[in-house]
Amino acid sequence: MGFGFTVGVLGVLILFHAAYSTIQYRGLLKIMEEEFSGPPITVVGELVIGLVLCMWAALTVPGKFLSIHPDSEENRIVSLPENLDFMIFNHRGRVFPSQVDLKLKH
Amino acid sequence: MVTKTEEAQLSRLESQVDNGGGGAWDFLCLVRKLKVRRSDKVLKHGLSLLKDPRKRSALGPDEWTLYEQVAIAAIDCHSLEVAKDCIKALQKRFPESKRVGRLEGMLLEAKGSWSEAEKAYSSLLEENPFDQVVHKRKIAMAKAQGNITVAIELLNKYLETFMADHDAWRELAEIYVSLQMYKQAAFCYEELILSQPTNPLYHLTYADVLYTIGGQENLQTAKKYYASTIQLTGGKNRRALFGVCLCTSAISQLSKGRNKEDNGTELQSLAATALEKDYKQRAPDKLQLLTSALKSLRVSS
Repeated sequence: MGFGFTVGVLGVLILFHAAYSTIQYRGLLKIMEEEFSGPPITVVGELVIGLVLCMWAALTVPGKFLSIHPDSEENRIVSLPENLDFMIFNHRGRVFPSQVDLKLKH
Repeated sequence: MVTKTEEAQLSRLESQVDNGGGGAWDFLCLVRKLKVRRSDKVLKHGLSLLKDPRKRSALGPDEWTLYEQVAIAAIDCHSLEVAKDCIKALQKRFPESKRVGRLEGMLLEAKGSWSEAEKAYSSLLEENPFDQVVHKRKIAMAKAQGNITVAIELLNKYLETFMADHDAWRELAEIYVSLQMYKQAAFCYEELILSQPTNPLYHLTYADVLYTIGGQENLQTAKKYYASTIQLTGGKNRRALFGVCLCTSAISQLSKGRNKEDNGTELQSLAATALEKDYKQRAPDKLQLLTSALKSLRVSS
């Protein structure tokens, strides 16, 4: 958890640095009076690395993926709950006396 | 709904608690969550929790939930003394509570004093005519006394008001099936499928009912619902696989004279292979029985 979180923070920092470099680069271009056609290749590389790190962190830090398939073990319904609201008490269980001497005392 | 993982967890916890491995409270929580009826075990382990003052106070406010759970379990096991003590403790803590009043009504039911229970429920309903659980208890009481027709009447009236209550629809369907009124039961299962379309067990039971009614058209529909059950369970429901095989052979038997070419045989052979594979894996000694049964189905077609 801590490791993934650190990676995420690192990724965001890298993205910020890429933004800062781009602004700096544009400032430089203005001084040199050239047109801005795109960020330099190093900044693009930085962006990609930052994106990958952020994505990895976002996918691992919040937790595991849950299955959405209806036939997976977590979702497959094998039995319905007993209809406890409609339970009735005159069944054969009342004939069998309870085994232990059950008593609630305080 | 009890899913496969929850079922495994429940059986693991149950054996752990039975062998004295602790975790009684977790077991009781899971029983409550999954709404399974394990009254004897709930009574045994819940009571031992309640008897221990240290453990009981560690539960905090959940103590009262446990009292209620144990009271219902005790009523179900017919240990009325314990139930009475639990209800008394609850009454002391929550005087004039309707939930406790309901428990008292259930205790009267268990004693067999129907008229007094009826009176208790009626007074509860007077205060709050939309208490669903009390309505359901009245229906259950009619069923317990053997007045099935009264129970059906009450259930129908209840469902007119609370149409979204799928537990009640299920109860009505089960009553109709027990009376062999399959057409009415099929209607209830249709309602259930509409309210929970991803629950394979409703598809399965609906298909069972249609197969029981019989007739070409019903059998075709039953086969479709068996197929949808297979789809929803990933082919792990053996009853649905058998259902497809039975439906196909029944349909071909009915349409024998017409000699119509049907594409259902492919589905049947697929289901049969899935069954054979499953049996080979889990019960190899019963494979012989299965193959002979499947062969007889195919011979008749």
